[in-house]
Order: sequence, then C-alpha cells, then structure tokens
Amino acid sequence: MVGVIRRLNKLTSKLVRLRIGPGAAILPNTVSRIHLEFAHKINGGHMGPRKFWRTALPRLKYWNPAIPMIVNRVREQEKPATMTLYFREPGAPVKADVPQPSSSFDGLSKAPPPAEGERIVTINMSNRRSEAILQEFLEKTGAVPVQPTPQDELELREAEEREAQGAIDRERVKREIDAAKREKRMIAQALSEAAAIKSAL
Amino acid sequence: MASLSSCLASMARLSLAAPARPSLLGSATSAATIPKFLLPTAAAAAATTTTTTTTTTWHQVRHASGGGGMRKRVKKKKAHKTFRTYDLSQMQQFSLCDAMRYLRAFEVGHPPAVVKYELHVKLKSTKSGPVIRDRVRLPFPVKTDTRIGVICPEDSPLMLEAQQLGAVAVGQESLFESIRQGNIPFNKLICHVDSHQALLKAGLGKILGPKGLMPSQKTKTVTSDLKATVQELIGADEFRERNGVVRIAVGQLGFTPQMLSDNIKAFMALLKEDIAKVDDNYLKELDEVVLSSTNGPGFSLNGLFPPTDDKITPEDLQSVM
Repeated sequence: MVGVIRRLNKLTSKLVRLRIGPGAAILPNTVSRIHLEFAHKINGGHMGPRKFWRTALPRLKYWNPAIPMIVNRVREQEKPATMTLYFREPGAPVKADVPQPSSSFDGLSKAPPPAEGERIVTINMSNRRSEAILQEFLEKTGAVPVQPTPQDELELREAEEREAQGAIDRERVKREIDAAKREKRMIAQALSEAAAIKSAL
Repeated sequence: MASLSSCLASMARLSLAAPARPSLLGSATSAATIPKFLLPTAAAAAATTTTTTTTTTWHQVRHASGGGGMRKRVKKKKAHKTFRTYDLSQMQQFSLCDAMRYLRAFEVGHPPAVVKYELHVKLKSTKSGPVIRDRVRLPFPVKTDTRIGVICPEDSPLMLEAQQLGAVAVGQESLFESIRQGNIPFNKLICHVDSHQALLKAGLGKILGPKGLMPSQKTKTVTSDLKATVQELIGADEFRERNGVVRIAVGQLGFTPQMLSDNIKAFMALLKEDIAKVDDNYLKELDEVVLSSTNGPGFSLNGLFPPTDDKITPEDLQSVM
C-alpha cells in the first residue's frame, strides 16, 4: 500500500470537496425520493444531466443519505432527460416499503408512479447546464445549502495549496527528466557515431 | 554589432582552422562526420601521431568523451525482508457507518448489484515465506454467478453426479480439448482424484494457471467428494495475500450496514485464524483494514460501527441506491 500521508492527503481533498461545493444542501423531510433519467452519452443535450449526476448528486447524497436517489441511464440518446422529485404530502405517513427499483445503466429503472400520499414534480434537464438544473432543483425542493465550517475551509485551502505546489513540482521534475533523457540520447548518438568511425577506419 | 573586418577575420580564422582537424585522421571524408568533442577518442583509435592538436583541445573534450563525468557508481540497495509498514498514528480512521456514508455518496447512481464493497487487509509480513490463502463463506454472499466445471472420468457415475450438482462443464479428455480451444464456460474448476493424473498429463497449467483455475490439493480443488466441494465452492469466496495485502469483495453496494458488518466480522475472524496457523518463524500480523468500493476511495477502519454524526443513524444508510 501507498504511504500514509500521501493516501491521507488525497483522501481529505476528495472528502472536503464532497462535503462542500455545489449541491451540498439539506433537503426538507417532505422530499421522499429523487429520480433522474438521461442517456449514456452527451449528444442530444445530455451533458448537463450527466454533469449534475457526477458533481451535485454525490454531495446531495452525502448530506441526505436516507433519501433514495435513483439514476436511470438509457441507450436512446433522443429521449428527453428528466428529473422527477417525489414529495410526501403533509401528514402522510413515512412508509419504508414503497417499491423502488434501484439505479440502472440499462434503462430498466423507469420513474415509478407516485405512491399513495405522494406527489411528483418534474424538471426538464435536456439541453441545460448542470448549474441551471441544480438551481431549479434547489428552488423546487426548498433545500437549505450547507455552510462550510472553518475546518472544511481550512482543509480545502490546504488541498488547493498542495495541488498548486504539486503542479510546480511536476513541471520542475519533468524538466529534469527531459534534460537527463536528452543528455542520454546525445551520448548514445555520439557513441554510435564513434563506433561507426572506428569500424570505417 | 561587429565590424565587417572583424567578421571577415573570424571567418578567415575558421577556414584556416578547419583543415587542421581532418588532417588528424589523414582522410578528409571520414573526419567531416566526427563531432568535435569526439576527436581524441577517434584519434586515439586511429593511433596516429596527433600530439600537436589534441593537446590544445584536451580540456574541452574531457567531459563529453564519456570519461569521468558519466561514470556510474553502482549503489548497493538495502534488501528489506518485510513489506513496508507505516506509522498509522497519523492516519485518519473511520467507523464503518461513516465510511459507508461517504462511499454511498461516491457511488450514487451506480447499479448497486455491480458496485462492490472491497476490504483490503494489510499485514505485517515477511516477503518470503508462507502466504495466507483460503476460502470464506460469507453470511451474505457477494457473488452469485459461480459456474463450476468438474473434471472426472468420462461415462462414470461421477459425471452424472457432477451434472446433477449443477456443473456447467463435465468430462475429462473432452473438457481438456475444449479448454485448449479457449472454451471456458466456468469460473471455478474442480477435479476428482481419479482424474488428477490425467489432468497433470494434459499440460493445461499454462492455460488454467494464470486464471487461477488449475485444480490442486493445496486449494482443496482436487477432491474425492464432489458434492461437498461443490457446495463449499458455491457462495464461497477465495482470498489470498499478495504483496502483504489480502483483498476481498465483502459486500454489494445495496447491503445494509449490519449486513456489511456481519460479512466483515466473518471474514476477519477467519483471517485471524489463518494468521494464527502460520509458522511462528515467520512474521504475520494484522496491520490495517481498509474499506473501499469499486469507484470510491479507501477508508481506513477503526473497528467501530456507529456513525459519528449524531443526525445520521445506521438505518439512513439502508435506502435504495
């Protein structure tokens, strides 16, 4: 396994970016589940929904672990990309046994009809940027964005500094390696030329 | 800007100096290709009387001619007898529910039957010596697609028995032939003791060995009791130590924290037994337990179960993924 510090640096920078950033918001308890449907590839206006899934959805899932967030990816690129929000009607009991198919990459998990005591709101995600989708999502659900703690901010700053320093170091090391390679190449060429001269004599 | 006269002067000097070099080797054509810094070596090879010109250029060419500058000192590497271990006091460690919460966030939207939780157990271990290798039957099986092939004498009651046990490929010479042709419909292969000699003669080790399918006494896949072995293989997962780390899939993404905890406990209990069985002459100890998932990062576990965030309960981590 890799050394402890290197592993920890990589992990903390990943985790802090999961805890804060676009999509870090706590949903009200009226939201019972979320369903996203979009295509596998980006053509046909499916880039925004895909980005939303990749960037915002993990943060939402981290802050709302109990809410099912189902992604259904279909093969048909021409289908519209839609998000379905399921709201629990006020006063309706919290039921655990609502049939809910799990996420699928083969289009097998269609958005289920609302259960008893549920209503649905849909968001059209086709041809929209992920920021716009997130904006509409936050408005329609009434989610409360999570404010980063001082500890989070510190960790994020440290991660950014590490990465900036890493980029500088990487460039320097690349220069050194390139120089060493060039020298090696020149020596090899010179030696082969010398050998050619020797054999010619 | 240099004056015209100085330019001319330097050009004249160059044109005068040029013939001096080719004359070293006696022939103008071959000398034209010799780089300046190689002259002494080339000249030495030619073994001509070159004392007059080389003495003046000696200092410039010394480094480039492959003399002292490029000499490599062969460093003796210290050979370590054990795999490297690190001081874990600086490592942030997580409880199982915390790690699961993060991993479920990283894996959101992936099909839960495809994504697996993986356990990586680092051991303090010597590089040479025995390795841990065993099979575990987890309380909640992770893989459900075990397809078994059975090697047993053709047209024997054993063949019928194997087919009844659900083997996808049964036989001896016919099975060997299909394996040679690359037709391997199974992912577990067992061999009856009666056919073991035939298997060894067939020379299939080159094909089956890299896939880890070659039956052997060591892995308990050469057997006289087909039924017991097949039952043991179905729902059993193999694990082995590689470079001081034992890795195994311990759960599907859809598992609840309790299910995953049971699986990890069952696996760790067996692993500890296996470690205890190792000869005392060799170092073999538990070092670190890391939980990761197919697409997620690794979390070092601290052995605790409950989440640290008091707003989250283990039940929250059971929702459909």
